[in-house]
Amino acid sequence: MGDHEKHRIMMVSDFFYPNVGGVENHVYYLSQCLLKLGHKVVVVTHAYGNRSGVRYMTGGLKVYYIPWRPFFNQSTFPTLIGMLPIIRTILIRERITLVHGHQTFSTLSHHALLNSRIMGYKVVFTDHSLNGFGDVGSIHMNKVLQFTLADVSQAICVSHTSKENTVLRSGLSAEKVFVIPNAVDTEMFKPAFEPPSRSSEIVIVVISRLVYRKGADLLVEVIPELCRLCPNVRFVIGGDGPKRVLLEEMREHNSLQDRVEMLGAVPHAQVRSVLISGHIFLNSSLTEAFCIAILEAASCGLLTVSTRVGGVPEVLPDDMIVLAEPNPADMVRAIQKAITMLPKIDPQVMHNRMKELYNWHDVARRTEIVYARALKCPHQDLLEHLSRHLSCGAWAGKLFCFVMIMSFLLWHLLELWQPADDIEEVPDLIFQTSMMERRGLKKEKKMTDDGEFGTSFF
Amino acid sequence: MVKFSISKGRYTYTHDQKYSCENVDIHHIILKSSRANYVFVYTLAVLLLASALYLCILGEKSISIVYYSVLFDIFLVKLLLRNPVKKESVVIMPAFGVQLETHYMSGKIIRCFVPIDKILKPVLVECVTPVTCYWTLSLMIRGESEMVLVFKSLRPPVKMLVHVWKALCSATDIKEEALNTCTTNN
Repeated sequence: MGDHEKHRIMMVSDFFYPNVGGVENHVYYLSQCLLKLGHKVVVVTHAYGNRSGVRYMTGGLKVYYIPWRPFFNQSTFPTLIGMLPIIRTILIRERITLVHGHQTFSTLSHHALLNSRIMGYKVVFTDHSLNGFGDVGSIHMNKVLQFTLADVSQAICVSHTSKENTVLRSGLSAEKVFVIPNAVDTEMFKPAFEPPSRSSEIVIVVISRLVYRKGADLLVEVIPELCRLCPNVRFVIGGDGPKRVLLEEMREHNSLQDRVEMLGAVPHAQVRSVLISGHIFLNSSLTEAFCIAILEAASCGLLTVSTRVGGVPEVLPDDMIVLAEPNPADMVRAIQKAITMLPKIDPQVMHNRMKELYNWHDVARRTEIVYARALKCPHQDLLEHLSRHLSCGAWAGKLFCFVMIMSFLLWHLLELWQPADDIEEVPDLIFQTSMMERRGLKKEKKMTDDGEFGTSFF
Repeated sequence: MVKFSISKGRYTYTHDQKYSCENVDIHHIILKSSRANYVFVYTLAVLLLASALYLCILGEKSISIVYYSVLFDIFLVKLLLRNPVKKESVVIMPAFGVQLETHYMSGKIIRCFVPIDKILKPVLVECVTPVTCYWTLSLMIRGESEMVLVFKSLRPPVKMLVHVWKALCSATDIKEEALNTCTTNN
C-alpha cells in the first residue's frame, strides 16, 4: 500500500447517532475505520433535541451537532446559503482537506457540498438509496441532485444497481462513480452457540420497518398462505410502522396468534438476539439499493429469502440466499425451497464466510483510494463551476448559477467580516485506543511536556 | 506589575500582580474599541433619516415619517451600540475564591464572586451556534446544572484563554490537595 497521506475528512449527514439506521451506521463504522488508518475525521450533523454542540465518540471521533432544527423527516430546512458561515468556520478550524456527504435526502449534506465547492474544497458524495423518476417528489429531488453533483469530485454508490440509478438521475459521468458495498460488523452479529433445533419447527424472522417500501403488504399475503402449506412454520416479526395494523388484522383474521409473534420496535442492540432465534430471514422490500439487514442475518447464520429488487442480488452468494419476484406466489415458493435447503446450512460456516466477504476495514481502504483520486482532481474556479451548472437545464441552470453566485458573494463578505486568520485552529486531541498503546503513550507523555493540548500552543 | 502580555487582533491579554500579596493573580482581557462599528451604524442611521426626509419633502408624504425615522434611528443606535465592554478581569485569590469583573466604557464595573470550594473544575468548552463556533472558558459549579462563564461578553482567542485556564486549574488543585491532606490527617 506504500505511504498514504493522511486526510482530514468532514463527514456530513443529517442522519447520525442518536438516530439508528443504515446510513447512520455506515457513517459511524466508516469513520471509526478511517480513524484507525490514521486519518482525522469530523462528523457534522444537526442537533437532536437537547444534544447540541460538540461531542466526542469512541476513538476520538468529533461530532458537531449544529443547532438547526430538522424540518422534514430528520432533514434540515433548505436555505441554500444559510449554512455557509458555520460550515466555513468548521472547515477552517478543523483544517479539513476533504468533505464527504451522505445520502440524497440529507439537505445538510447538499448544503455542505455546495458551500465547500464554492470555497475550493474537494468533495465526495455517497448515495445510499435508489430513487424513482416518475413522481413529483422524485423529479424535484433528482433536479436538486443534478445541481449538487454537477461538480462533485467523486461519488460512491453502494451497489452497481445504485450506480446506474445515480448516474441516470444526476447526469454524473460514470467514470466518477465508484462502487463500494456496505459491510457488516461480524463481531456483533455472531450465530448462537447452540443454533435452534430444526426438527420441531422452522422459525422465519422478519425485521424491518413496517412500511410500504419494505413490502409489508406482501407479508400480509405470504404469511397466511405459508402457514396453511407448512404446519411446522412459525413467524417472528420485529419492527414497527404504519403497516403494523394490517399485519395484526391478518393475524386475527386467520387465527395465527400462536404462529405469528409480533415484537414491535426492536432496538439495534437486540437485533442479534432476535435473529439467532430463527432459521430463515425474510426480506420483502420493494426497493433496496443494498440491504444491510440480509448481511446481518447471514452473519448470524440464517438462510435468507428476499425479493429480487434493486441491489439485493449483488449482496450474497447464491447458496446463502433464495431470490423471488416481489409477488406472494413466488415468495411462498422461494420460502418452501429455502426450507428444503436448511439441512445443508451450517451457521458457523456461513458466519466465517461473511467475515471474509464483508469487512468495514476493507470499505475504509477502498474509500481512501476514492479520496486520493478526489484530491488529484484539478482545482476549478467560479466560471468553470457556473458553466457546468448552466448545462443542467433551461431554467434550472440559470437558477443554480444564481445560487452559486450568491454563495460566492456571501463567502467573500464573510472573508471580510471574519477573516480566516481570525478563526483559530483546533488542536488535535489524541485518544488512547488500547491498554498496550496506553502504556506506550504514557512513556511518551513523560518525554513531551505539558501534554498534547499544552504543546500545541507553545 | 505586568508579568506577561499577549496581543491578537482587537484583544490584549495581560497577567499582572497589582497587590503585594504574591498569591493573588489578576488576568485581564482588554478589547480595543472598533471604529468600524460606529461608522457603520451611524451611516445607516443617516441614510435612514435622509430617505425619510426625501420622502417627506420631495415625495410629499407627511412629516410624521421623519419623526418615526428619528425614533427608529435612536432605537437602532441604542440596540447596536449598547454599553460596550472595555475590559474583563479575573482575580484569583487561591484560598478564597475567584472574582469575575466586567468593566464598561462608561466606567461601570460589574463584579461576580465565586467561592473556591464551589468550583468543581474550570473547563474550556467549544460552543456551537447556528452561524459560528467559538471557545469559552467556564467554571463547573458544585450543585448547579449551569456553568458560569468566566468572560461573559468578550470572546478572546483560545491562546489567551489557556493561560487563564491554567491559572484557575492550579488554584483549584491547591484547594483540592489541601482538602485531601485534611481528610488524611483526620
